Amino acid sequence: MAFMLSLLTQERVLVTEEVDFVKAKGVDGEFGVLTGHTPFITLLDPGELVVRKGETLYSYYVSGGVAEVLPKSMIVLANTVERAEEIDMQLAQTARKNAEEALSKPISELERRTYLLELKRENVRLSIAARRHSTRHPGQLSEE
Amino acid sequence: MPSLRSIRGRIKSVKNTRQITKAMEMVASAKMRKAQARVRDTRPYAEKIKELMIRLAAIESHRPNPFFQVRPVATVGIILVSTDRGLCGPINSNVFKMVNRFMADRPGVKFEFVVIGKKGQDFVRRSGLKAVGSISGVKDRGQIEEILPATQVAIEEFSDGRWDEAWIFYTEFVSTLSQKPRSEQLLPILPEMSENGAKKPSPFLGEYLYEPDTADILDVLIPRYFETLVFQRVMENFASEYSARMMAMRNATSNAKEVIYQMTLIYNKLRQAAITREISEIASGADAVQQG
Repeated sequence: MAFMLSLLTQERVLVTEEVDFVKAKGVDGEFGVLTGHTPFITLLDPGELVVRKGETLYSYYVSGGVAEVLPKSMIVLANTVERAEEIDMQLAQTARKNAEEALSKPISELERRTYLLELKRENVRLSIAARRHSTRHPGQLSEE
Repeated sequence: MPSLRSIRGRIKSVKNTRQITKAMEMVASAKMRKAQARVRDTRPYAEKIKELMIRLAAIESHRPNPFFQVRPVATVGIILVSTDRGLCGPINSNVFKMVNRFMADRPGVKFEFVVIGKKGQDFVRRSGLKAVGSISGVKDRGQIEEILPATQVAIEEFSDGRWDEAWIFYTEFVSTLSQKPRSEQLLPILPEMSENGAKKPSPFLGEYLYEPDTADILDVLIPRYFETLVFQRVMENFASEYSARMMAMRNATSNAKEVIYQMTLIYNKLRQAAITREISEIASGADAVQQG
């Protein structure tokens, strides 16, 4: 049974179609959505959003935002979204290296937190991109 | 009777004008296509977040939140979206007329403006209205950050209680040939909010589960809602501006063509008359010589 997913940012529309399953990262942990889910609203953490439609899986990097889940629809109002294939691995690697270098130096608490966040973010983006590039079939993902 | 030379001069000047309007038409039409695509890309988010806010406004437990509360209206804040440049048809003056009508319908209420665009600033100054903030030079491909100074002022005015309602006036892009002035209430967010009718949101009147909790989510959603709507309306305004300018310049170009045609006709008639006159003078001169 499918439900309607709208994955949007302020500047573009990524998905508006019927899908079968969505996995996303809320502030209180990952969650999966199937048709008939209890209505809920959550803030999103930077992380991967996986969409399954039929046998195909699509992967996105979401930098944060809000998700509203209703029994027959789900709206993700994201701050920014990258499709897995849009992630520039080199750019992400450079950014990660920069963050690591910055963290190895003595810096203020605020800066340290900023860079830690940056590091976390780049790690997520890289793992999404890496999964896409590996030969492992992404369909092994379970519907928890 | 105008001289041949003066007509020739005028034809030339109208031809120059035609060249300029033609160029402006082409520039506007290129920008218009991009701006129209941008409207298509930004509309869904704005629509969805507005529907979501309206659904949330209908939930009883949210009522205490000041952004959902109706207060007696002493001051209305208006975000006025206008263009920076002129030569774009009647779109600015149509919005200004709408603002004037809106104010006339609400006697005894004070109005304060946050203005986006130079034309709106002129209007507010000319009419002796009060502006509490204004920005201009927003880019048509700009990021949302550019309009944040304006939205922050507006949200502050509302949450500090100086504004009891916040409205936005802008020109909605309908099509290349049609742009409509719009007024839309943004705050407070009301379950029955439908001024100039956004679609009725799908009714969901139950409670949600919230992660982390209601207050945190509303703290994120409310400013986000406000910024997004203002930003999207500014994008609508750009698409309207370029469409209106393209049409205005297209009309100007075809008017110039018509004028050139008419003047060329007069010019040729005059030229022919002068030649005829000259020939007849020569002929009658020659006759006089032969007879003499």
